[in-house]
Amino acid sequence: MADSLRARLLVWFAAIVMLVIAMVGAAVCWMTWRSRLSAIDAELARRGESIARAVRPGPEGRVDVELPADVIAYFQRPDLPAYYAVWRADGSIVDRSDPDIAPGGPPRRGAATRASNREVVIHSGGLTVLAGRDVSDVWQELWSLAATVMTVALVGIAAALAVAWSLAGRALSPVKRINETARRMAEGDLTARIAIDGTETELGQVANALNQAFDRQRDSIERQRQFTADASHQLRTPVATMMAELDWALMRERGGDDYREALATCKRAGARMQSLVEGLLTLARAESGELRLQCLETRLDRVVEDAVEMLRPLAMQRGVRLHAALSPQTVLGDSDRLHDLAANLIFNAIAYNRPQGTVSIVVQREHERVVLRIRDSGIGIAPIDLPKIFDRFYRADAARTREPAGAGLGLALAKWIVTAHGGSIECTSEPGRSTEVVVSLPVTNQAAAAAGDGRRSARLAAPPIAPSASTASVNPSVQNDVRPSAASSE
Amino acid sequence: MRVMIAEDEVDLARTLRKALTEEGYAVDWAPNGSEALAKALGVPYDAILLDLMLPEISGLDVLTAVRQRGVRSPVLILTARDAVDDKVHGLNAGADDYLTKPFVLTELLARVRALIRRASPEPVAELAAGPLLLDTNLRLVRRGTEVIELTAREYAILELLARRKGTVVTRSAIYDHVYDEHEDTLSNVIDVFVAALRRKVGPDVIRTRRGHGYLIDG
Repeated sequence: MADSLRARLLVWFAAIVMLVIAMVGAAVCWMTWRSRLSAIDAELARRGESIARAVRPGPEGRVDVELPADVIAYFQRPDLPAYYAVWRADGSIVDRSDPDIAPGGPPRRGAATRASNREVVIHSGGLTVLAGRDVSDVWQELWSLAATVMTVALVGIAAALAVAWSLAGRALSPVKRINETARRMAEGDLTARIAIDGTETELGQVANALNQAFDRQRDSIERQRQFTADASHQLRTPVATMMAELDWALMRERGGDDYREALATCKRAGARMQSLVEGLLTLARAESGELRLQCLETRLDRVVEDAVEMLRPLAMQRGVRLHAALSPQTVLGDSDRLHDLAANLIFNAIAYNRPQGTVSIVVQREHERVVLRIRDSGIGIAPIDLPKIFDRFYRADAARTREPAGAGLGLALAKWIVTAHGGSIECTSEPGRSTEVVVSLPVTNQAAAAAGDGRRSARLAAPPIAPSASTASVNPSVQNDVRPSAASSE
Repeated sequence: MRVMIAEDEVDLARTLRKALTEEGYAVDWAPNGSEALAKALGVPYDAILLDLMLPEISGLDVLTAVRQRGVRSPVLILTARDAVDDKVHGLNAGADDYLTKPFVLTELLARVRALIRRASPEPVAELAAGPLLLDTNLRLVRRGTEVIELTAREYAILELLARRKGTVVTRSAIYDHVYDEHEDTLSNVIDVFVAALRRKVGPDVIRTRRGHGYLIDG
């Protein structure tokens, strides 16, 4: 407790109060002493003058000293030993009340303190007169004054400290609560929050800020916990499939078809684990900032066209028509990642479509942005699921029924890719009818500016590539109607 | 013995179905929660393997719903979540056992056997049926010291009758227990199997209650 803030505050407070009281006390004592001394000096000077007046030069160099009664009375008071001495101008002694007084001749003129005595020396009528008195009574008075001051000061300090202790305790009680809450939080109680009395006080603001930090901490831990649970669940499912299939295959001798089927099942499970692990690694690298984009001038339409070509066989297999309208648009981007992005979005549009459905893929310029629109005629996404589809591992129920192999990482990766390019991704859906994903990327010059934030390594070798005049004016968009044979045969 | 697998993982469901079929069970598959619920309410399964993470209706909700409607089928929860809370919730909702993915197939089969055994009036691995002794673990039938060879279906019918010893089991109940949802055979197929059984185990074991069904005396 000696180290506590409260104790330290109190020690400082006590030290300052004591210093102030000591200074005030010293000043009082000093002024009292001065006023007493000046009164005594005046008195002694007055007595000295009386003595000088009483010295009359007599015949034959003798002098008569005839002291008035009040002077005699003053110098003979038993309670207050006083004394005097008188010298001629040549230093010879005229008279003294005691032989011990100033044996060395007349001291210099003025007031002085010698031992416990105060002496005043004056010159008057050719004589030097010394008048002195014992001032130990003044000292005594001063000491008792100092003692009184000290006593009052101690009582005052004690009272002030008691009040200060309780005030400090009250002012610092939120600190105690903050401390306890932080400890509970550190021990794993994520719901611990500081009860705040007044949000205007400094500590109230601190508590408020801490509570907000605790909220964010809990959210982040919850997300992490959810992520770990989801990741382990996602990994265990294919492992369970593979292990069960292997157990079954090895249970007894089986035929070649059975073994082939078992191996095919294991391969599917393995492929799923592989894509899951790769997705997780990519996301982890992206989040830790390890994954950097290699941003170059990239023709988004060409990248998207590649993805369309890659997925055309799948679309044919599912009986889904792909309709692409790709106008030449250049962005500053990582073509591999943009390809992943386009392929992922188009794959989803095919996978969650209906038979004989369509997917329209558009690349065009809209309000100083390069926009990729992918619209399907598929099962749609329920409004309740829409805000969560870009979360890792989030899969709507309907999606799980349709594509049980997906792990729910694709859209999280897509979102990361778009964000890293300084763009935005949005999804709108009419359940049962269609879903549209809109990716909006900055056009080249803005992309170059955005790339300056150091997160991306951008190389800008040439000014933005303008689409060739003929393409731009004659045929602004490349119409590309991909029609699977299954669909065209109807 | 008829079993339902409620599992959205197609490959895993297929594997379980193969393994359980080889064990002589009639196996139904529900790929989502609503189908699982409909099937569980419609068929008196001898055991239900229930994944908790089912689409449409969660496994836990399916379980709660079937228990509320008085379905007594033993339920084995099969899930990749291994948090204690999940187990507790599952068991509280009326599950009889819990197995975490990944699992060893033989353990799963043993647990299914144990569930069915516990649910029968005579919860033993060795069942007596008149002069016969059935080892339900090895799926072996002995008469004295002689081991009788039976097909999977014949054994299934014999075990069902032995488990319900002393009560008449109707043809349709036998049918429900030994055929899964995809099999649709002639209605007299049960009589054909019982006739074959009688030839193998002897005529004195299974009695016919005309118009009702069959029984083994208890």
